[in-house]
Amino acid sequence: MLTIRDLSVQIRTGDRIVRPISGVDLDLARGETLGIVGETGSGKSMTGLAIMGMLPAGSEITNGSIRFDGEELVGRDPRAYRSLRGRRISMVFQDSLTALNPTRRIGDQVAEPLLLHGLAHRAEALRRAEEMLALVGIPRPSERMRDYPHQLSGGMRQRVMIAMALIAEPDLLIADEPTTALDVTIQAEILELLGRLKEQLGMAMILVTHDMGVVARHADRVGVMYAGRLVETGPTRALFRRTRHRYTRALLDSIPSLEQDRGVELFSIPGSPPDPAETVPGCRFAPRCAAATDRCRAERPPLEGEGGHVFACWNPVADAPPVLPGRALPAAPVVETSSEPRLEVVDLVQEHPVSGWAPKGRRRTVKAVSGVSFTVQAGETLGLVGESGCGKSSLGRMLVAMDRPTAGEVRLEGAKVSGVGRRGLGARRARLQMMFQDSGAALDPKMTIGTILREPLAIQGIGTTAERTERAIALLDGVGLGPSILERYPHELSGGQRQRIGLARALALDPDVLVADEPVSALDVSIRSQVLNLMRTQQRERGLSSVVISHDLSVIRYLSDRVGVMYLGKIVEVGATDEVYERPAHPYTAGLLAAVPIADPDAPPLDAAERVRGELPSPLDPPSGCRFRTRCPLATELCATVEPALEAVGDAHDVACHFPLQPKAQAPADASAPGARPGETEAAA
Amino acid sequence: MISYLLRRILVSLLVLIGISIVIFVMLHLISDSPGRVVLGPQASAAAVEAFNRENGYDRPLFVQYADYVVQLLHGDLGRSYKLNEEVTVLFAQNAGRSAVLSLSGLVLALLIAIPLGILQAVRRNSVVDRAATGVAYLLYATPSFLVALLLIALLSQLVPLFPAEASQSTSPWVVFTDPRAMALPLITLALTNVVVFSQYQRSAALEQLGMDYIKVARAKGAPERIVLLRHLLRNACIPLITLVGVMIPTLLAGNLIVESVFNYPGLGLLFLNSLHREDYPVLLAYTLIGGALTVLGNLLADLVVARADRRIELSR
Repeated sequence: MLTIRDLSVQIRTGDRIVRPISGVDLDLARGETLGIVGETGSGKSMTGLAIMGMLPAGSEITNGSIRFDGEELVGRDPRAYRSLRGRRISMVFQDSLTALNPTRRIGDQVAEPLLLHGLAHRAEALRRAEEMLALVGIPRPSERMRDYPHQLSGGMRQRVMIAMALIAEPDLLIADEPTTALDVTIQAEILELLGRLKEQLGMAMILVTHDMGVVARHADRVGVMYAGRLVETGPTRALFRRTRHRYTRALLDSIPSLEQDRGVELFSIPGSPPDPAETVPGCRFAPRCAAATDRCRAERPPLEGEGGHVFACWNPVADAPPVLPGRALPAAPVVETSSEPRLEVVDLVQEHPVSGWAPKGRRRTVKAVSGVSFTVQAGETLGLVGESGCGKSSLGRMLVAMDRPTAGEVRLEGAKVSGVGRRGLGARRARLQMMFQDSGAALDPKMTIGTILREPLAIQGIGTTAERTERAIALLDGVGLGPSILERYPHELSGGQRQRIGLARALALDPDVLVADEPVSALDVSIRSQVLNLMRTQQRERGLSSVVISHDLSVIRYLSDRVGVMYLGKIVEVGATDEVYERPAHPYTAGLLAAVPIADPDAPPLDAAERVRGELPSPLDPPSGCRFRTRCPLATELCATVEPALEAVGDAHDVACHFPLQPKAQAPADASAPGARPGETEAAA
Repeated sequence: MISYLLRRILVSLLVLIGISIVIFVMLHLISDSPGRVVLGPQASAAAVEAFNRENGYDRPLFVQYADYVVQLLHGDLGRSYKLNEEVTVLFAQNAGRSAVLSLSGLVLALLIAIPLGILQAVRRNSVVDRAATGVAYLLYATPSFLVALLLIALLSQLVPLFPAEASQSTSPWVVFTDPRAMALPLITLALTNVVVFSQYQRSAALEQLGMDYIKVARAKGAPERIVLLRHLLRNACIPLITLVGVMIPTLLAGNLIVESVFNYPGLGLLFLNSLHREDYPVLLAYTLIGGALTVLGNLLADLVVARADRRIELSR
């Protein structure tokens, strides 16, 4: 139905010519789902936009053809192109707050394609919009019709977007990162919804994503793109089972899986993707490829293969790839559990009033963190995992004394750090450092890297400028960067490099505790594993205690010794990492783990019993009893009335659930503090 | 909504009281003896003193202020020293004409600036955009009296299209229906505002054009006209609403120059003449009205923005 041949696009900005796509061939049959996988700048989204005839201003198709149902789309008259868009070819974009018009009602926006193409009159269009909203699983669609986008959650907005794209029953749907901004539990639902609707409407689908796990389960065929070129394409199983291209292989190897051996480094691809403005004669992956030869650098490999599985590689991976043993990480520091914990959090609460004015007593508060307690020993890493809105970032900010808790305490080696004035905090502040998610925003754009790294030392009055520079060079070395970077500015660096600087800056004062909030979420897979390895090495070499906050279960698993699972402001399960991942006791943890997309087409489908359904309740008024009960498959009346306390289900494994999936441990003799860890017993006393 | 309005009005009243105190005190610091101003430099000290005593100007300042507030509450803005007329009457005579000039100038400016700003954003960095931005900066840097004088020189002297003097009619309606006489003042006023509004509108439209919903609208098959009118326009105008709200009192001040250059008898000209005559009650009332308009403009802008963009809640 769709045939793309030798498609090339170029963008001209001033004198610079960038080729985001060069020589791409793709085929798509009716009823088929094609996954296009690639990292930032691989040209995957650009391919989708080229099919839509919606390339950004300044870019043009320089070569090739796109045939849709026998008709050539390249060079098509704009008016004729428009009549295809939204009617025969539709597109779903990544959910962002701006993807729906903020000042128009949901109903009008969903009905719009029908009106634009003259397929229905207004009343009829609105009626069909309502049906469509019901079809994509929006509860009470008639009420939602008059809502504005900001009144819906991210998952619901994405459903609206899908309804909008499908209302005219297109033949081809292009979904560009449709679930990237969503939580894993919602992601699973949206992807299944897309698959179901595809069957129901008999359309073809192109699923553009950076996530190998998403295509493994949801695509019939997969195309892998790198630096504007299609490097390998084939039926999903063949591509995953008999991966040929070196890049595809490397990409698959660098994904931290849930079975990863945590004692060795993650596989990582060295370097970063090439500048799209450069033209190279050979394979674009050659500079980063371990198997590259002179031929790879000189001659461009053609797409070749058989049985629909083609790849562009001179030295394809053999059938049974040698299992590359990762470099062993430095030995884990000895965690001393007997001594006082390095960091201790006792009944931490953060509630902030909803902006606005209301009479006292009726003032509504957002309950971001509702009574969280845990300890982190010297040299230990605690991972906090949970979906957006669970309070993990609010918690992180309180840990480093950036925000004050409403109640409860944070103690660093027994000394209180929370709620202490700036002066009282003094030098203790320097011992708590934070690494942020978006280092593009967390690094001052007007400061050189040298100034950024020297600043913490200057503020604390450590050393002379020369000594600080020396220290900065040592820090850069520690994160794998050379001293030449000192004079550069943040915008001159790649995302991965900036994140390394973020880590180096956090380590500048040799802190005792490092809090990392989503440290790799903004990075591409091939860069992500580099930063993860670095963090793991630094943790171990320095005997650092750290708290890693992430929504990504595999990241948390790789970095942490212990894991706390958060849900709506509470820790629902906490325990040793392997223990929690292998024997989850809370239905929420089990649901989260089940929803993680696995980069294996033969992974068993989601077990309906384990699935977490629906939406996160509002933190304004969390459900009574167990907060998870509204989404829990096992909930009973007991869960609605009695809030479960954290109780032991194993050695160093506690869960707050009335019906844990693992048998509870025998109640300890001291019944006053069941299952509490030593530190917490102390705090309770 | 009601409680929000009540709260805002209460706050506005407090602001107005603050403004009135400051202005009252300032004017009395400049001239503590109205008798001298009214009776002139030739009058004897005794006569001045008698005048001040008679009119209560010898009392302590706070008593005079309290008196003034009581007057205000009765809708009495005081009496002009020099024109022998109630300030309210003077204002009533002039306000209508000023309103016609200001409002038509504002509407004209918006009608030009909104499409121009959007056009500049859509054709970003094109010749049109650069030319419009260049002209805007040039005009922005030019004082409005110079713009007015240039317009007179060009469109009245060189090419006698329009009269150099504005309509002298006392009826706002007659003024409104005489576009030829009002052309030059209106063009001056509109030009000085268009340069601000269009640059503002350009950057707002540019920001909105980068939003995903624009891409989504195109992906639905919407022609550019619909993308711009149905999706972009409303979102891109929201920042401008706030600006217009803040600019309402500035329009009054802008009139001051335009009214005096074109000899148009409105509030601005009244203010200017009162300034020369040291007619403090009029100056005080004019400044107070400026303060009230500031407060009112902001409140109106907030209400309109909240109506246009449902994400904004008025409870803040």
